[in-house]
Amino acid sequence: MDVAIQIVASGLTLGAMYAISTVGLALVYGALNMLNMAHGAILALGGYVCYQVMAAMGLPAPLGVLAAMVVCGAVGVLIYHLAARPMLRSQNFETQIFIATIGIGAILQDLILRAFGPQPKPQPLALSGALNVGGVAVPYQNLLILAVALVMMAAMAWLLGRTRTGRAIRATAQNRDAAQLMGVRIGRVYAQVLALSGALAGLSGILLSSISGLLPTMGSDPMLKAFVICVVAGLGQVQGAAIAALVLGLLEALIQYLFGVQYAFAILLMLVIGVLIWRPFGIFGRRQVVRL
Amino acid sequence: MSLLELRGIQAGYGAQMVLRGLSLDMAQGEFAALIGPNGHGKTTLLRSISGLVRARAGQMRYMGQDIGAMRPDQIVAAGIIHVPQGDLLFPEMTVLDNLRMGAYLPAAAAEEAARLEEVYALLPKLRDRRLQIASTLSGGERRMVGIGRGLMAGGGLLMLDEPSLGLAPIVIDQIYAVIARLRESGRSVLVVEENASRIAEYADRLHLLDNGTFVWSGGGAEFLAQPEILATYLGG
Repeated sequence: MDVAIQIVASGLTLGAMYAISTVGLALVYGALNMLNMAHGAILALGGYVCYQVMAAMGLPAPLGVLAAMVVCGAVGVLIYHLAARPMLRSQNFETQIFIATIGIGAILQDLILRAFGPQPKPQPLALSGALNVGGVAVPYQNLLILAVALVMMAAMAWLLGRTRTGRAIRATAQNRDAAQLMGVRIGRVYAQVLALSGALAGLSGILLSSISGLLPTMGSDPMLKAFVICVVAGLGQVQGAAIAALVLGLLEALIQYLFGVQYAFAILLMLVIGVLIWRPFGIFGRRQVVRL
Repeated sequence: MSLLELRGIQAGYGAQMVLRGLSLDMAQGEFAALIGPNGHGKTTLLRSISGLVRARAGQMRYMGQDIGAMRPDQIVAAGIIHVPQGDLLFPEMTVLDNLRMGAYLPAAAAEEAARLEEVYALLPKLRDRRLQIASTLSGGERRMVGIGRGLMAGGGLLMLDEPSLGLAPIVIDQIYAVIARLRESGRSVLVVEENASRIAEYADRLHLLDNGTFVWSGGGAEFLAQPEILATYLGG
């Protein structure tokens, strides 16, 4: 029983962190057909901005979180205007933006390295103490991460499902030309989506670094996992990505317990390959049918 | 003043020129049809008017307003509604949500409930299908959603691109019943249609597009009285 609680607690925490970093990626792919390879660097940037605001400037935690989300959202808007927008009309947009964002990610990561150095730093935003659940101590930090993830998912569901902005985002994702013919200003939708994705990446970076510390390269591993989750869920499926993130987090925790940490990612990737053989368009993705 | 005034429009894709200097005038309340062989620029002309394709030369004025440099969303806001070829529905939304997207802009959103009733009155099947996901509809139903979604926007000029394309004869009759109703309502309509002699019964004016230019324009009755036009350009 203790073990089960332990696995569920750490699995949900992992899954929640994956969900926050994945949802932004899925949203951008869904709306723009754009794999944002700078996502990992934006994640790290969020962690460092929060660190800078709290540790160096001595300001309270909510300001650190807010600053990180605003800065990372702004980076998203910059990526839209400097990279995505000039390429949008190109036939090879998907390839070009993929390569361009690899470059942007590298620049961002080097800027962080230059500003903060290569040594690991602790994330000041961390809760101490633990809650006793059936004899198992679940750190408050894990509960905070889970709570933030749930709030974020609910907020995204509300935004996409209930607001005018969300309808415009969904319409643009489903048919770019048709959205324009309805009067949707798709350039603005793209900028909004990248801003939102950036802000979520910033938040995710803070949570990740609160557990494993700050490093300029801290974003690459979570971004890889976020891609895996996006592909499993079906590229561009935002809600599917959130669910897949939680399931894969739980699975990873279980595999870690049963076989050891070193096998977790390998076994996870094998499962992913299995899923993709079974459903190449992802669990929640729709089979692409070309109709004339 | 013309409702729509096009002068010397040139447009194309990459190195390929499709429209080679087109001029067109449409009056308020006119029902005009673009006819002609496939691949000669009818769809490109509609896409240029709605801003999805940027014209390379020429002037476009709608109700006296220069729309040539406007974004597609601004052209919709100005009142030109384009029901595209192939419907381009939002496949993962319900019929109702597709229709509501038609009334996305604030001016149309204010009228949404009333417009929805009008669309359901014109296309009763959509009311029964309103909670169905668009990708699961039949071809005829999809076409009706596409037209209904365009009507939700209101607007001053409705452009329909091949409303009967690829449908079964019985469904084409239903679509033509809708076209007849639109004709009676006095709306300004610009329709692209493959079946020239059928649309000629409804259109005030027909414009025959061949190889990127207009080669003949005239009234519907005039067209039907001159079978040699059909033979020359439409191979029938």
